[in-house]
Amino acid sequence: MFLTRFRVNTARSSSRRILGSPQIMHAAVMSCFPALLPSDAPPPGGPRILWRADHTSRAEVILYIVSPGRPDLTHLVEQAGWPAAATPIAPGWETRAYSPFLDRLQTGDRWAFRLTANPVHHVRRKDDEPTKRTAHVTPAHQMGWLLQRQESAGFRILERSAGQPLMSSVGASSGPTHPGNAYELAVHSKRDLVFAKRPQNGSPVGNKAPVQIVAVTFDGHLEVTDPARLRTVLTQGIGRAKAYGCGLLTLVPIRTGE
Amino acid sequence: MSVLTLRLAGPLQSWGANARFSRRTTESAPTKSAVIGMLAAAVGVERGDDTRLAPIAALRYGVRIDQPGIRMRDFHTAHHAVTGKAMPLSERFYLADAVFVAALEGDYTLLADLHSALRNPVYPPFLGRRSCPPSRPVELDLHREGTLEQALRSTPWQASSWHKRQHRPGADIHLTVLREARPEEVDAANTLRDQPLSFAPEHRRHALRSVISDSVRFTHSLERRAVARHDPFDAFDAAEEKSA
Repeated sequence: MFLTRFRVNTARSSSRRILGSPQIMHAAVMSCFPALLPSDAPPPGGPRILWRADHTSRAEVILYIVSPGRPDLTHLVEQAGWPAAATPIAPGWETRAYSPFLDRLQTGDRWAFRLTANPVHHVRRKDDEPTKRTAHVTPAHQMGWLLQRQESAGFRILERSAGQPLMSSVGASSGPTHPGNAYELAVHSKRDLVFAKRPQNGSPVGNKAPVQIVAVTFDGHLEVTDPARLRTVLTQGIGRAKAYGCGLLTLVPIRTGE
Repeated sequence: MSVLTLRLAGPLQSWGANARFSRRTTESAPTKSAVIGMLAAAVGVERGDDTRLAPIAALRYGVRIDQPGIRMRDFHTAHHAVTGKAMPLSERFYLADAVFVAALEGDYTLLADLHSALRNPVYPPFLGRRSCPPSRPVELDLHREGTLEQALRSTPWQASSWHKRQHRPGADIHLTVLREARPEEVDAANTLRDQPLSFAPEHRRHALRSVISDSVRFTHSLERRAVARHDPFDAFDAAEEKSA
Protein backbone atom coordinates (compact mmCIF):
# COMPACT_ATOMS: atom_id res chain seq x y z
CA MET A 1 0.00 0.00 0.00
CA PHE A 2 1.17 3.51 -0.79
CA LEU A 3 0.19 6.96 0.40
CA THR A 4 0.73 9.82 -2.01
CA ARG A 5 0.62 13.55 -1.47
CA PHE A 6 0.30 16.02 -4.33
CA ARG A 7 -0.13 19.77 -4.03
CA VAL A 8 -2.48 21.21 -6.63
CA ASN A 9 -1.39 24.43 -8.30
CA THR A 10 -4.65 26.32 -7.99
CA ALA A 11 -3.40 29.18 -10.17
CA ARG A 12 -3.79 27.06 -13.30
CA SER A 13 -7.04 26.94 -15.21
CA SER A 14 -6.61 23.22 -15.83
CA SER A 15 -6.44 22.67 -12.07
CA ARG A 16 -9.82 24.29 -11.71
CA ARG A 17 -11.23 21.99 -14.36
CA ILE A 18 -9.90 18.98 -12.45
CA LEU A 19 -10.94 20.25 -9.00
CA GLY A 20 -14.30 21.36 -10.34
CA SER A 21 -15.53 17.88 -11.17
CA PRO A 22 -15.08 14.76 -9.04
CA GLN A 23 -15.62 12.79 -12.25
CA ILE A 24 -12.57 14.36 -13.93
CA MET A 25 -10.50 14.00 -10.73
CA HIS A 26 -11.49 10.35 -10.49
CA ALA A 27 -10.29 9.78 -14.06
CA ALA A 28 -7.06 11.67 -13.34
CA VAL A 29 -6.40 9.61 -10.19
CA MET A 30 -7.15 6.31 -11.89
CA SER A 31 -4.76 7.24 -14.70
CA CYS A 32 -1.91 7.35 -12.15
CA PHE A 33 -1.63 3.57 -12.19
CA PRO A 34 0.13 2.19 -15.23
CA ALA A 35 -0.80 -1.41 -14.47
CA LEU A 36 -4.50 -0.67 -14.04
CA LEU A 37 -6.70 -1.03 -17.10
CA PRO A 38 -10.07 0.77 -17.29
CA SER A 39 -11.71 -2.62 -17.79
CA ASP A 40 -10.28 -3.85 -14.46
CA ALA A 41 -12.86 -3.94 -11.71
CA PRO A 42 -11.56 -3.47 -8.15
CA PRO A 43 -11.48 -6.85 -6.36
CA PRO A 44 -14.44 -7.13 -4.00
CA GLY A 45 -13.29 -6.83 -0.41
CA GLY A 46 -9.75 -5.96 -1.46
CA PRO A 47 -7.81 -2.73 -1.20
CA ARG A 48 -8.78 -0.05 -3.66
CA ILE A 49 -7.72 3.38 -4.80
CA LEU A 50 -8.99 6.14 -2.51
CA TRP A 51 -8.40 9.83 -2.81
CA ARG A 52 -9.25 13.05 -1.04
CA ALA A 53 -8.67 16.69 -1.83
CA ASP A 54 -8.10 18.81 1.30
CA HIS A 55 -9.01 22.43 0.62
CA THR A 56 -7.18 24.06 3.51
CA SER A 57 -7.26 27.51 1.96
CA ARG A 58 -7.73 29.01 -1.47
CA ALA A 59 -4.17 28.35 -2.61
CA GLU A 60 -3.62 25.22 -0.54
CA VAL A 61 -5.27 22.17 -2.01
CA ILE A 62 -3.57 18.86 -1.29
CA LEU A 63 -4.58 15.66 -3.00
CA TYR A 64 -4.01 12.46 -1.01
CA ILE A 65 -4.16 9.07 -2.68
CA VAL A 66 -4.09 5.66 -0.97
CA SER A 67 -3.47 2.86 -3.44
CA PRO A 68 -2.29 -0.76 -3.61
CA GLY A 69 0.23 0.10 -6.35
CA ARG A 70 2.82 2.85 -6.69
CA PRO A 71 1.30 5.73 -8.68
CA ASP A 72 2.81 7.93 -11.37
CA LEU A 73 1.38 11.45 -11.20
CA THR A 74 3.35 12.91 -14.10
CA HIS A 75 0.21 13.88 -16.01
CA LEU A 76 -1.20 15.60 -12.91
CA VAL A 77 2.04 17.54 -12.46
CA GLU A 78 1.83 18.60 -16.10
CA GLN A 79 -1.80 19.67 -15.88
CA ALA A 80 -2.20 20.84 -12.32
CA GLY A 81 1.22 21.11 -10.72
CA TRP A 82 4.56 22.82 -11.27
CA PRO A 83 6.09 20.88 -14.19
CA ALA A 84 9.10 23.20 -14.61
CA ALA A 85 10.07 22.71 -10.96
CA ALA A 86 9.95 18.92 -11.19
CA THR A 87 13.25 17.06 -10.88
CA PRO A 88 13.91 13.30 -10.92
CA ILE A 89 14.31 13.40 -7.12
CA ALA A 90 11.30 15.62 -6.48
CA PRO A 91 8.90 14.86 -9.34
CA GLY A 92 6.16 17.11 -7.89
CA TRP A 93 4.49 14.52 -5.71
CA GLU A 94 5.55 12.34 -2.79
CA THR A 95 4.76 8.69 -2.36
CA ARG A 96 5.60 6.66 0.73
CA ALA A 97 4.98 3.06 1.64
CA TYR A 98 1.85 2.86 3.77
CA SER A 99 2.12 -0.77 4.91
CA PRO A 100 4.83 -0.28 7.61
CA PHE A 101 2.63 2.34 9.24
CA LEU A 102 -0.47 0.16 8.94
CA ASP A 103 1.37 -2.79 10.48
CA ARG A 104 2.41 -0.72 13.49
CA LEU A 105 -1.18 0.23 14.43
CA GLN A 106 -1.97 -1.17 17.86
CA THR A 107 -4.98 -1.37 20.11
CA GLY A 108 -5.15 1.65 22.38
CA ASP A 109 -3.24 3.97 20.02
CA ARG A 110 -4.77 7.42 19.87
CA TRP A 111 -4.73 9.43 16.66
CA ALA A 112 -6.30 12.52 15.23
CA PHE A 113 -8.17 11.65 12.07
CA ARG A 114 -9.69 13.29 9.06
CA LEU A 115 -12.32 11.72 6.85
CA THR A 116 -14.24 13.15 3.95
CA ALA A 117 -17.33 11.03 3.53
CA ASN A 118 -20.76 10.83 1.99
CA PRO A 119 -23.10 10.07 4.92
CA VAL A 120 -26.33 8.57 3.64
CA HIS A 121 -29.20 6.53 4.95
CA HIS A 122 -32.11 4.78 3.35
CA VAL A 123 -35.63 6.05 3.83
CA ARG A 124 -39.07 4.94 2.82
CA ARG A 125 -41.57 7.77 2.61
CA LYS A 126 -44.60 5.52 2.27
CA ASP A 127 -45.15 1.99 3.51
CA ASP A 128 -45.43 0.36 0.10
CA GLU A 129 -42.49 2.20 -1.40
CA PRO A 130 -38.97 0.87 -2.01
CA THR A 131 -36.33 2.54 0.13
CA LYS A 132 -34.48 5.49 -1.29
CA ARG A 133 -30.92 6.58 -0.58
CA THR A 134 -30.88 10.01 1.04
CA ALA A 135 -28.05 12.19 2.30
CA HIS A 136 -27.72 13.13 5.95
CA VAL A 137 -27.98 16.90 5.98
CA THR A 138 -27.49 18.11 9.54
CA PRO A 139 -24.17 17.90 11.42
CA ALA A 140 -25.92 15.94 14.19
CA HIS A 141 -27.07 13.23 11.77
CA GLN A 142 -23.73 13.23 9.96
CA MET A 143 -21.92 12.68 13.26
CA GLY A 144 -24.43 10.01 14.16
CA TRP A 145 -23.64 8.26 10.88
CA LEU A 146 -19.95 8.07 11.73
CA LEU A 147 -20.55 7.15 15.37
CA GLN A 148 -22.69 4.23 14.18
CA ARG A 149 -19.81 2.92 12.07
CA GLN A 150 -16.97 3.37 14.53
CA GLU A 151 -17.21 -0.06 16.18
CA SER A 152 -17.25 -2.06 12.96
CA ALA A 153 -14.45 0.15 11.64
CA GLY A 154 -12.17 -0.82 14.52
CA PHE A 155 -11.92 2.48 16.31
CA ARG A 156 -13.66 4.50 18.98
CA ILE A 157 -14.15 8.25 18.76
CA LEU A 158 -12.90 9.82 21.97
CA GLU A 159 -15.30 11.52 24.33
CA ARG A 160 -14.82 15.19 24.95
CA SER A 161 -13.69 16.01 28.44
CA ALA A 162 -16.24 18.03 30.37
CA GLY A 163 -16.11 21.79 30.38
CA GLN A 164 -14.94 22.40 26.86
CA PRO A 165 -18.09 22.78 24.77
CA LEU A 166 -17.55 23.01 21.04
CA MET A 167 -20.98 23.88 19.80
CA SER A 168 -22.96 26.81 21.10
CA SER A 169 -25.77 26.10 23.51
CA VAL A 170 -28.21 28.05 21.32
CA GLY A 171 -30.64 26.05 19.24
CA ALA A 172 -32.92 23.12 19.83
CA SER A 173 -30.70 20.37 18.43
CA SER A 174 -27.60 21.22 20.43
CA GLY A 175 -28.55 20.16 23.93
CA PRO A 176 -26.32 18.06 26.15
CA THR A 177 -27.26 15.00 24.12
CA HIS A 178 -25.92 16.53 20.91
CA PRO A 179 -22.99 14.39 19.70
CA GLY A 180 -21.01 17.55 18.99
CA ASN A 181 -20.85 18.19 22.70
CA ALA A 182 -20.03 14.67 23.75
CA TYR A 183 -17.22 13.64 21.35
CA GLU A 184 -13.93 14.95 20.03
CA LEU A 185 -15.51 15.26 16.63
CA ALA A 186 -16.28 18.12 14.28
CA VAL A 187 -18.05 18.25 10.94
CA HIS A 188 -17.08 20.95 8.48
CA SER A 189 -16.67 21.81 4.82
CA LYS A 190 -20.03 20.46 3.69
CA ARG A 191 -20.16 20.36 -0.09
CA ASP A 192 -23.09 19.60 -2.36
CA LEU A 193 -21.49 18.01 -5.39
CA VAL A 194 -23.62 17.88 -8.50
CA PHE A 195 -22.04 16.81 -11.76
CA ALA A 196 -23.00 15.09 -14.96
CA LYS A 197 -21.73 11.60 -15.48
CA ARG A 198 -20.21 11.09 -18.90
CA PRO A 199 -22.07 8.47 -20.92
CA GLN A 200 -20.40 5.07 -20.92
CA ASN A 201 -19.72 3.18 -24.12
CA GLY A 202 -22.97 1.97 -25.55
CA SER A 203 -25.23 3.78 -23.09
CA PRO A 204 -27.69 6.32 -24.43
CA VAL A 205 -26.51 9.94 -24.30
CA GLY A 206 -28.23 12.65 -22.29
CA ASN A 207 -30.85 10.77 -20.33
CA LYS A 208 -28.74 10.34 -17.18
CA ALA A 209 -29.65 12.36 -14.13
CA PRO A 210 -26.67 14.21 -12.65
CA VAL A 211 -24.76 12.59 -9.80
CA GLN A 212 -25.57 14.32 -6.51
CA ILE A 213 -23.38 13.80 -3.47
CA VAL A 214 -23.30 15.54 -0.11
CA ALA A 215 -19.70 15.34 1.08
CA VAL A 216 -18.64 16.43 4.57
CA THR A 217 -15.29 16.40 6.31
CA PHE A 218 -14.95 14.95 9.80
CA ASP A 219 -12.08 15.95 12.08
CA GLY A 220 -11.66 14.21 15.40
CA HIS A 221 -9.70 12.03 17.75
CA LEU A 222 -9.96 8.25 17.84
CA GLU A 223 -8.63 5.28 19.73
CA VAL A 224 -7.77 2.07 17.92
CA THR A 225 -9.90 -0.82 19.19
CA ASP A 226 -9.29 -3.39 16.44
CA PRO A 227 -6.13 -2.76 14.37
CA ALA A 228 -7.03 -5.34 11.70
CA ARG A 229 -10.43 -3.79 11.02
CA LEU A 230 -9.01 -0.28 11.04
CA ARG A 231 -6.36 -1.36 8.53
CA THR A 232 -9.13 -2.59 6.24
CA VAL A 233 -10.98 0.72 6.64
CA LEU A 234 -7.83 2.76 5.96
CA THR A 235 -7.22 0.88 2.71
CA GLN A 236 -10.81 0.30 1.57
CA GLY A 237 -12.58 3.42 2.77
CA ILE A 238 -15.80 4.20 4.61
CA GLY A 239 -19.19 4.81 3.10
CA ARG A 240 -20.25 5.58 -0.43
CA ALA A 241 -18.92 7.66 -3.33
CA LYS A 242 -15.37 6.37 -2.91
CA ALA A 243 -14.64 7.13 -6.56
CA TYR A 244 -15.53 10.76 -5.97
CA GLY A 245 -13.17 11.69 -3.16
CA CYS A 246 -15.10 10.23 -0.24
CA GLY A 247 -14.21 7.51 2.25
CA LEU A 248 -10.46 8.05 2.71
CA LEU A 249 -9.59 8.11 6.42
CA THR A 250 -6.16 9.42 7.42
CA LEU A 251 -4.45 9.53 10.81
CA VAL A 252 -2.04 12.06 12.27
CA PRO A 253 -0.51 12.30 15.76
CA ILE A 254 -2.63 14.21 18.29
CA ARG A 255 -0.98 17.53 18.90
CA THR A 256 -1.46 18.79 22.41
CA GLY A 257 -2.18 22.41 23.11
CA GLU A 258 -4.39 22.95 20.07
CA MET B 1 -25.37 49.41 41.99
CA SER B 2 -26.28 46.37 39.89
CA VAL B 3 -26.68 46.22 36.14
CA LEU B 4 -28.82 44.03 33.90
CA THR B 5 -27.71 43.79 30.28
CA LEU B 6 -29.96 42.77 27.40
CA ARG B 7 -29.19 41.77 23.85
CA LEU B 8 -31.70 43.18 21.37
CA ALA B 9 -31.16 41.39 18.09
CA GLY B 10 -33.69 40.51 15.45
CA PRO B 11 -34.30 40.71 11.74
CA LEU B 12 -36.60 43.70 12.19
CA GLN B 13 -36.85 46.20 15.03
CA SER B 14 -38.76 49.45 15.36
CA TRP B 15 -38.21 51.95 18.15
CA GLY B 16 -40.58 54.89 17.86
CA ALA B 17 -40.10 57.88 20.16
CA ASN B 18 -42.30 60.45 18.46
CA ALA B 19 -44.09 58.15 16.04
CA ARG B 20 -47.58 59.54 15.61
CA PHE B 21 -50.40 59.27 13.08
CA SER B 22 -49.61 57.70 9.72
CA ARG B 23 -45.82 58.11 9.74
CA ARG B 24 -44.36 55.69 12.25
CA THR B 25 -40.64 56.38 12.42
CA THR B 26 -37.94 54.54 14.34
CA GLU B 27 -35.05 55.90 16.36
CA SER B 28 -31.62 54.52 15.59
CA ALA B 29 -31.49 52.77 18.99
CA PRO B 30 -34.02 51.24 21.37
CA THR B 31 -35.96 53.80 23.39
CA LYS B 32 -36.21 53.59 27.14
CA SER B 33 -39.99 53.34 27.03
CA ALA B 34 -39.82 50.30 24.77
CA VAL B 35 -37.28 48.46 26.91
CA ILE B 36 -39.06 49.33 30.15
CA GLY B 37 -42.30 48.21 28.53
CA MET B 38 -40.72 44.91 27.52
CA LEU B 39 -39.44 44.28 31.06
CA ALA B 40 -42.76 45.28 32.63
CA ALA B 41 -44.56 42.94 30.24
CA ALA B 42 -42.18 40.12 31.13
CA VAL B 43 -42.97 40.42 34.86
CA GLY B 44 -46.68 40.79 34.06
CA VAL B 45 -47.38 44.44 34.87
CA GLU B 46 -50.72 45.26 33.24
CA ARG B 47 -51.15 48.42 31.19
CA GLY B 48 -52.39 51.20 33.49
CA ASP B 49 -50.79 49.69 36.61
CA ASP B 50 -48.58 52.75 37.11
CA THR B 51 -47.57 51.94 40.70
CA ARG B 52 -45.91 48.68 39.66
CA LEU B 53 -44.40 50.35 36.60
CA ALA B 54 -42.78 53.23 38.53
CA PRO B 55 -39.81 51.33 40.08
CA ILE B 56 -38.97 49.72 36.73
CA ALA B 57 -39.21 53.05 34.91
CA ALA B 58 -36.91 54.60 37.54
CA LEU B 59 -33.98 52.37 36.48
CA ARG B 60 -31.15 54.19 34.75
CA TYR B 61 -30.95 53.20 31.10
CA GLY B 62 -28.23 53.07 28.47
CA VAL B 63 -27.85 51.36 25.12
CA ARG B 64 -24.90 50.46 22.93
CA ILE B 65 -25.23 50.22 19.14
CA ASP B 66 -23.31 47.06 18.30
CA GLN B 67 -24.57 46.75 14.75
CA PRO B 68 -26.51 49.74 13.42
CA GLY B 69 -28.59 47.91 10.83
CA ILE B 70 -30.35 49.44 7.87
CA ARG B 71 -33.44 51.66 8.02
CA MET B 72 -36.32 50.16 6.06
CA ARG B 73 -39.56 51.80 4.96
CA ASP B 74 -42.76 49.81 4.71
CA PHE B 75 -45.77 51.25 2.90
CA HIS B 76 -48.52 49.81 5.01
CA THR B 77 -52.08 49.16 3.87
CA ALA B 78 -54.64 47.36 5.98
CA HIS B 79 -58.36 46.70 6.16
CA HIS B 80 -60.40 46.54 9.31
CA ALA B 81 -60.96 42.94 10.24
CA VAL B 82 -64.64 43.37 11.11
CA THR B 83 -65.98 46.22 8.96
CA GLY B 84 -63.73 45.60 5.97
CA LYS B 85 -63.12 49.32 5.68
CA ALA B 86 -59.69 50.56 4.56
CA MET B 87 -57.48 51.74 7.44
CA PRO B 88 -55.45 54.92 6.90
CA LEU B 89 -52.42 54.38 4.68
CA SER B 90 -49.28 54.59 6.75
CA GLU B 91 -45.53 54.48 6.43
CA ARG B 92 -43.74 52.34 8.95
CA PHE B 93 -39.99 52.38 9.46
CA TYR B 94 -37.89 49.50 10.73
CA LEU B 95 -34.26 48.75 11.46
CA ALA B 96 -33.18 45.63 9.62
CA ASP B 97 -30.34 43.43 10.94
CA ALA B 98 -29.50 45.60 13.94
CA VAL B 99 -28.00 44.43 17.25
CA PHE B 100 -28.04 46.44 20.47
CA VAL B 101 -26.89 45.91 24.02
CA ALA B 102 -29.16 47.65 26.50
CA ALA B 103 -28.21 48.08 30.17
CA LEU B 104 -30.33 48.96 33.19
CA GLU B 105 -28.78 50.13 36.43
CA GLY B 106 -30.51 49.92 39.77
CA ASP B 107 -31.39 47.80 42.76
CA TYR B 108 -30.18 44.18 42.61
CA THR B 109 -33.37 42.44 43.75
CA LEU B 110 -35.49 44.25 41.16
CA LEU B 111 -32.98 43.49 38.38
CA ALA B 112 -32.76 39.85 39.43
CA ASP B 113 -36.57 39.62 39.24
CA LEU B 114 -36.54 41.15 35.76
CA HIS B 115 -33.74 38.81 34.70
CA SER B 116 -35.63 35.70 35.73
CA ALA B 117 -38.87 37.10 34.29
CA LEU B 118 -37.22 37.43 30.87
CA ARG B 119 -36.48 33.71 30.96
CA ASN B 120 -40.10 32.91 31.75
CA PRO B 121 -42.06 35.97 30.63
CA VAL B 122 -45.76 36.61 31.31
CA TYR B 123 -46.04 38.50 28.01
CA PRO B 124 -43.32 37.61 25.50
CA PRO B 125 -40.74 40.25 24.59
CA PHE B 126 -40.66 41.91 21.16
CA LEU B 127 -38.43 44.51 19.61
CA GLY B 128 -40.56 47.65 19.46
CA ARG B 129 -43.49 46.16 17.58
CA ARG B 130 -45.39 42.96 18.17
CA SER B 131 -44.40 41.85 14.66
CA CYS B 132 -40.66 42.05 15.48
CA PRO B 133 -39.66 39.01 17.55
CA PRO B 134 -36.10 38.76 18.90
CA SER B 135 -33.91 36.24 17.11
CA ARG B 136 -31.87 35.36 20.21
CA PRO B 137 -32.62 35.32 23.93
CA VAL B 138 -33.01 38.87 25.19
CA GLU B 139 -31.42 38.46 28.62
CA LEU B 140 -27.64 38.68 28.47
CA ASP B 141 -26.12 39.11 31.90
CA LEU B 142 -26.73 40.30 35.44
CA HIS B 143 -23.85 42.14 37.14
CA ARG B 144 -24.23 42.33 40.90
CA GLU B 145 -21.71 45.15 41.23
CA GLY B 146 -20.89 47.84 38.73
CA THR B 147 -22.20 50.79 36.84
CA LEU B 148 -24.02 51.05 33.57
CA GLU B 149 -20.95 52.56 31.90
CA GLN B 150 -18.73 49.69 33.09
CA ALA B 151 -21.19 47.06 31.90
CA LEU B 152 -21.44 48.62 28.45
CA ARG B 153 -17.66 48.82 28.23
CA SER B 154 -17.04 45.23 29.33
CA THR B 155 -19.80 43.38 27.45
CA PRO B 156 -18.26 41.76 24.34
CA TRP B 157 -19.22 43.02 20.91
CA GLN B 158 -22.49 41.27 20.01
CA ALA B 159 -22.57 42.00 16.27
CA SER B 160 -23.16 39.08 13.92
CA SER B 161 -20.14 37.40 12.40
CA TRP B 162 -20.76 38.73 8.88
CA HIS B 163 -20.78 42.25 10.28
CA LYS B 164 -17.58 41.64 12.24
CA ARG B 165 -15.87 40.32 9.14
CA GLN B 166 -16.33 43.72 7.49
CA HIS B 167 -13.80 45.15 9.93
CA ARG B 168 -10.08 44.54 9.71
CA PRO B 169 -8.68 42.45 12.61
CA GLY B 170 -6.81 44.69 15.04
CA ALA B 171 -8.81 47.73 14.00
CA ASP B 172 -10.34 50.03 16.60
CA ILE B 173 -14.10 49.77 16.73
CA HIS B 174 -16.08 52.67 18.18
CA LEU B 175 -19.56 51.76 19.32
CA THR B 176 -22.01 54.54 20.09
CA VAL B 177 -23.48 54.50 23.58
CA LEU B 178 -26.63 56.45 24.36
CA ARG B 179 -27.03 56.67 28.11
CA GLU B 180 -29.06 58.61 30.60
CA ALA B 181 -27.25 61.73 31.77
CA ARG B 182 -25.94 62.11 35.29
CA PRO B 183 -27.17 65.29 37.07
CA GLU B 184 -23.95 67.23 36.34
CA GLU B 185 -24.13 66.40 32.63
CA VAL B 186 -27.69 67.49 31.96
CA ASP B 187 -26.63 70.70 30.19
CA ALA B 188 -24.71 68.76 27.54
CA ALA B 189 -27.47 66.26 26.93
CA ASN B 190 -30.08 65.85 24.25
CA THR B 191 -33.63 65.24 25.26
CA LEU B 192 -35.94 62.50 24.11
CA ARG B 193 -39.54 62.03 25.20
CA ASP B 194 -39.30 58.36 26.11
CA GLN B 195 -39.34 58.27 29.92
CA PRO B 196 -42.50 56.21 30.50
CA LEU B 197 -45.00 57.49 33.06
CA SER B 198 -47.98 55.40 32.09
CA PHE B 199 -48.72 52.72 29.48
CA ALA B 200 -52.49 53.01 30.05
CA PRO B 201 -54.06 52.36 26.64
CA GLU B 202 -56.42 55.33 26.92
CA HIS B 203 -53.64 57.79 27.69
CA ARG B 204 -49.97 56.89 27.37
CA ARG B 205 -47.73 59.47 28.96
CA HIS B 206 -44.01 59.98 28.56
CA ALA B 207 -41.69 62.51 30.17
CA LEU B 208 -38.56 64.06 28.71
CA ARG B 209 -35.28 62.29 29.36
CA SER B 210 -31.73 63.61 28.98
CA VAL B 211 -29.51 61.43 26.81
CA ILE B 212 -25.73 61.67 26.50
CA SER B 213 -24.13 60.29 23.35
CA ASP B 214 -20.85 58.59 24.16
CA SER B 215 -18.76 55.84 22.66
CA VAL B 216 -16.78 52.82 23.75
CA ARG B 217 -13.73 51.51 21.98
CA PHE B 218 -12.96 47.89 21.17
CA THR B 219 -9.97 46.34 19.52
CA HIS B 220 -11.43 44.00 17.00
CA SER B 221 -9.96 40.50 17.05
CA LEU B 222 -11.43 38.28 14.42
CA GLU B 223 -11.61 34.66 15.46
CA ARG B 224 -10.68 32.79 12.32
CA ARG B 225 -12.13 29.35 11.75
CA ALA B 226 -9.00 27.93 10.20
CA VAL B 227 -8.95 24.30 9.15
CA ALA B 228 -6.40 22.57 11.33
CA ARG B 229 -3.22 21.21 9.80
CA HIS B 230 -3.58 17.58 8.87
CA ASP B 231 -0.78 15.85 6.99
CA PRO B 232 -0.88 12.04 7.17
CA PHE B 233 2.87 11.89 6.49
CA ASP B 234 3.35 13.23 10.03
CA ALA B 235 2.04 9.92 11.32
CA PHE B 236 4.81 7.97 9.56
CA ASP B 237 7.52 9.99 11.26
CA ALA B 238 5.81 9.76 14.65
CA ALA B 239 5.39 6.00 14.34
CA GLU B 240 9.02 5.56 13.26
CA GLU B 241 10.22 7.61 16.21
CA LYS B 242 8.15 5.50 18.56
CA SER B 243 9.47 2.20 17.22
CA ALA B 244 13.07 3.44 16.95
